[in-house]
Amino acid sequence: MLILSLLWVVLGLLIGALANAAKLRPAAWVRGGRLAMLGLGVLAALLGGWLGTWVLGALFATATALWIAVLGVALLPRLIMLGAHFLHTHQASEPLKKP
Amino acid sequence: MDSHQPSLPHRTWKLGQRAAQAALVILLCAGGFLSLFPQGRALTRGALLLPALLSASEFAPLATAGDPVRFQRLTLFPNTARTVYLDIYEPATPPPPIPGGREAIIDVPGAGDNRSVPQLVNLSKSLASEGIVDVNVGTPALFDYRVAVQEGEAVVQAFELMEHWPGVNPQHIGIITFSVGALSAYVAAADPRIRDSVTFLGILGGYTDVTSLLRVVATRTQDVNGQTQHWEPIATTAYVLYRSVSSLFSPADQKLLQKAFPLTVSLPPPLPTAQVAQLSPVGAAYYHLLEGDQPGNVNRNLAALSPALKAQFNQLSPLSIISQVRAPIHLLHDRNDSAVPYTQALEMAAALARLHHPYDLAAYSIFSHVQVQSGLSLEQELGDGTRLLEALTSILLVGS
Repeated sequence: MLILSLLWVVLGLLIGALANAAKLRPAAWVRGGRLAMLGLGVLAALLGGWLGTWVLGALFATATALWIAVLGVALLPRLIMLGAHFLHTHQASEPLKKP
Repeated sequence: MDSHQPSLPHRTWKLGQRAAQAALVILLCAGGFLSLFPQGRALTRGALLLPALLSASEFAPLATAGDPVRFQRLTLFPNTARTVYLDIYEPATPPPPIPGGREAIIDVPGAGDNRSVPQLVNLSKSLASEGIVDVNVGTPALFDYRVAVQEGEAVVQAFELMEHWPGVNPQHIGIITFSVGALSAYVAAADPRIRDSVTFLGILGGYTDVTSLLRVVATRTQDVNGQTQHWEPIATTAYVLYRSVSSLFSPADQKLLQKAFPLTVSLPPPLPTAQVAQLSPVGAAYYHLLEGDQPGNVNRNLAALSPALKAQFNQLSPLSIISQVRAPIHLLHDRNDSAVPYTQALEMAAALARLHHPYDLAAYSIFSHVQVQSGLSLEQELGDGTRLLEALTSILLVGS
């Protein structure tokens, strides 16, 4: 499992790098954005691998890690941005609601 | 110069971006297909199994990603006439939620005790690593190089055991067989108790009809698609053909035929004329058929055989029961097989086509009868490897 996890880390890094090259990184992520994409790739690949192991078995975990990592680097930055935007507007509008 | 035209570094950068996007889409589709779809999972399994088969050794990625394997040896009905030896290789982990129950494969190796043959052990371990329960079936008769219809019962017993085996999906059990183990597999697949549950039958180097096999042995030629080719049997072929019907000969004939067709690497010299003269007419006819020294008298020698022998040939021929088999059949055969001629597979394929029975036939050049040859060329690995991958994927799709 350790070797597989290491493989998924490498896979995640590669997919994160591809996501950087594909310009999937949000424009607002200027400082450390590239590293964040690599981190997201690794995180998604690891989660995908472990999920694949649990649901489909270790044999198909790497393929699962692959597509979940791609989905992760494509969707997670947007979700994070949406979340940040929501939090920002929510926190900014909250003082106005106070009497 | 047009000032609006993008500069070369910009265009290159844009191209790189598009290439990266395309690569991500391809990875997404490939990963999704290989893990989410049964066909993809079967392909993954086949692709991991193929190198293990071609190299006849453990494939490192399969060992890393596959399940740990548990082995146990069971004996059913010990010390009786119907003893069945089962070598069970299974994953040591519980089955994953998807697809749920595991696939089980009943292996019927050919004549002899093949339980410790490295390529069979490697196949069984590799299948178990892939999450499949693999059972090698052996019987005293097969260990003794005898083919008998009763051996089909051993396969039925193994099949029924797997139907209740923990973790196995009873609808995902198939049978693969090698060489003369084919009869047991066909008999089991035609058995009313299990014939509707057998999901596939895989036959590697199997025979079809004893009489037509005898004709090829007797003439030392086979007719492949209208072309007559020389064919020389190995000693084991003659030995099994004799052993399987030896009880129908007189003790005197048995003694001489045993001497003429021993279990050796190569066929011994023919019996001296004086000893051939001591054989009964039936014994002499059978001797000449196996020895191949009267290729012009094959019909006469076949006609001289006793009715009991002819009836036994019919019983021992999978062709006689093929119409009762329900499962789709995968025929695999090496074109240069010197134990069971390739024409046996062609004959079965023709019979299945006449019956409109689902089947496929793949011809190879990488096997030495039922074992993968060593030192294969890249061309052989690519050509036959692709065909073998197709067959493996079909077999592995059942439990994927």
